[in-house]
Amino acid sequence: MRSENELIELLNRDLNLLSVKKLRKQNISIRLENEELVSGLNYLKSHSYIHLATISCVDWIEDNQFELIYHLFSYEDKISLSVKTKINRQKSRFVTIKNLWGVAKYYERDIHDFFGIKFTGNDNMDELILENWNEIPPMRKDFKTRQYVDKKYDWRQYHGQE
Amino acid sequence: MGKSKRTEMFFGPNHPGVPGNYGINYFYEGDTVVSAEPNPGHLHRGFEKLMEEREWIKNTPLVCRICVMEPDINEMVYAMSFEAIGEIKIPKRAAYIRSIILELARIQAHIFSIGGNCGAIGLYTAMQWGVLTRDYILDIFEEITGGRVYHIYIRPGGVRHDIEDVTLQKILDLLNDLENNRMPEFQKLIFENPIAQKRWKNTAVLNQEDALSLGVTGPALRATGLEHDVRKLMPYAAYDQVDFKVPTGEDGDAWTRLKLKKDEIFQSIKIIRQLVNNIPAGPVSLNLGNALKYKIPAGEAYVKIESSRGEYGYYVVSDGGLKPYRVHVRGTSTPLGLYGVETLLPGCRIEDVPVWAHSLGICPPEFDR
Repeated sequence: MRSENELIELLNRDLNLLSVKKLRKQNISIRLENEELVSGLNYLKSHSYIHLATISCVDWIEDNQFELIYHLFSYEDKISLSVKTKINRQKSRFVTIKNLWGVAKYYERDIHDFFGIKFTGNDNMDELILENWNEIPPMRKDFKTRQYVDKKYDWRQYHGQE
Repeated sequence: MGKSKRTEMFFGPNHPGVPGNYGINYFYEGDTVVSAEPNPGHLHRGFEKLMEEREWIKNTPLVCRICVMEPDINEMVYAMSFEAIGEIKIPKRAAYIRSIILELARIQAHIFSIGGNCGAIGLYTAMQWGVLTRDYILDIFEEITGGRVYHIYIRPGGVRHDIEDVTLQKILDLLNDLENNRMPEFQKLIFENPIAQKRWKNTAVLNQEDALSLGVTGPALRATGLEHDVRKLMPYAAYDQVDFKVPTGEDGDAWTRLKLKKDEIFQSIKIIRQLVNNIPAGPVSLNLGNALKYKIPAGEAYVKIESSRGEYGYYVVSDGGLKPYRVHVRGTSTPLGLYGVETLLPGCRIEDVPVWAHSLGICPPEFDR
């Protein structure tokens, strides 16, 4: 079992980290280059970080970037580790990690639905939750719910309404 | 036996064996599933998008609706992520009350789930008993919070209001009734029932390797022999103040998972008794100022807690504004309900598909959020 500081030391030694932050007790977040993310996750998986909780995506529209966050957990260290990387918003393409965790396939499909990021290597990028969606992906910050509703649907007229 | 014909079957969303608005499209040969694919999206409500457009406090009544079975869990994770980013420390009494509420919620979810599992094998008496017994706990919730299913009680900074001593006594009485009258009846009807045992044993087996690689948590993981519980791994609320055991099993089948749920009910009863007897006096919430103007610094948090079926996590990002910048919900059954259907369901017999879905605690609203 490693403490937070021991883990940070180990990661600084073995991985090429862009940044590392101790968020709070039992919570650490690190940032990796795009090219080093898969090898970094592979390294972490072989160092007891076997639990992939989920993959999150955040749209940083002002920086023109998407941020992908892989939430890992180690039952030995009892530390929750968020591995982050930023990708270009225009290109919106990244590599799959389905060979490390098969379950990531579906998390990636979910992100593809809602943010429009394509994952190279993931052969099934069909719509998962949405159906026949031809607007911009709905979780992007430039998708405005109200405007979409006004455009797509007619407002119902009630009695006595002008 | 000759070669069987491969046939496609749409299992759900309009099927009594499906746990919620959700479908599984599978192919079967003879009576065995040979390939399966999940079909979610029937109840997508865009919660995550909605949450980005509401002030922090306005999301409390929203998050509890993400999963009917776990309203308090959702409120708790949301409040905890707010407090984690804002570095807010809640009063001790509030932490105790939160734990009491969460354990009551765990008991009602387990009872409901045991009832649901009995429904899946046609033991309808137990299903009705499950609904009835859960209702007694909902009565307590109604007395504490005013709501039966959705409570909107745990909020950033503490809980909405205090619990009276009379109500605490009522909780203890209810637990006594549960332990001495109701659970022995469940024991006789369900757990000593040879037909139910035959149906559940060696059905829907999930081995340890698959469970770990999928990221399965909760009773489904503990039924494979691992003692992983977020309440022990990363204690929150008042769980570091109480003494309890984490029951485990060996076989990883539906029967083991149900037995664990039953054992966990007794552990929850033990936890609530300790909490009620040692509850400290004091305030139950912090004054964080105007509720519509809550502000926390820019930051992020991935917070997780133990729901009745395993890890429930929220990833929340704040940009320092009045509203969350991004909220991502990680429902407990997401790995099983999506990837698990594809990899673990093949090999299951047709009549065991509802048992598979119910005993692994698939809750579609969590991944359709």
